Amino acid sequence: MSLKREVMSPPVRALDVAGSLGQPASTVVRGGDFLFVSGLVAVDPQSGERVRGTTVSESRQILTNLRQLLEAAGSSLDKVVKVNVLLHSMLEAPNMNEVYARFFPDPPPARTVCGARLPDGVKVIIECTALA
Amino acid sequence: MREAIAAPRAGLDLRQHYGHHQSPAIRAGGLIFCSGMLPIDPETGERRHGTLTSEAHVIFGNLKLLLEQAGSSLERLVQVHALIYDSIEYDVLNRVYRQYVANGPPARTVWTAQIEAGFKIELDVIAAA
Repeated sequence: MSLKREVMSPPVRALDVAGSLGQPASTVVRGGDFLFVSGLVAVDPQSGERVRGTTVSESRQILTNLRQLLEAAGSSLDKVVKVNVLLHSMLEAPNMNEVYARFFPDPPPARTVCGARLPDGVKVIIECTALA
Repeated sequence: MREAIAAPRAGLDLRQHYGHHQSPAIRAGGLIFCSGMLPIDPETGERRHGTLTSEAHVIFGNLKLLLEQAGSSLERLVQVHALIYDSIEYDVLNRVYRQYVANGPPARTVWTAQIEAGFKIELDVIAAA
């Protein structure tokens, strides 16, 4: 018997981040016990437009949107098991960490943070895996 | 069901030492998701900068402690993301990496990234529980 594999529909079109970016990707996919979330950039949850801000404001927007995406898929931020954070500069890591801490209750997920060349002026990308 | 794995040694509690809002690892769905492992002294929490090779040895030692704490082991790694500071050290990575992985090694992706604290290598791994 094969495990469940299902594309989870974002609650509103504006939160279909991968789709809005024109990527051949689903924003949230279920595989067995897990939900896999595409790397998210900061978008306005009403319009779906990219929002450009500071690393902190973009992180805050991404995590706010992530909460909506997970809850629509029957999960939640406290079921996240692993997060990967890509920053345009590791100098921003402590700032990101401070806003990030407000979203994940104890015990927080495992996490890896690194600096990378991000597209199009994006300051931060966050992807994660959660329990379905 | 999701369970946080405690740091196997005081030095590996990065939340306490560095304020990182993360658990050392999470066990869920039959897998162990580890936070990116860095060359940190497991007893003192001090950074152990060195060559890519020396940093890799510290990292693998730490992963061994963490995975064994979680009831797993380096032999049960399924996926590794190897972040290196410069692709010029790719061969050096492989030489040290081979010393630690099983016959039938885990899946692996290597890429160049800016790593915390100017370290040369970080390993982001998943193991079977």
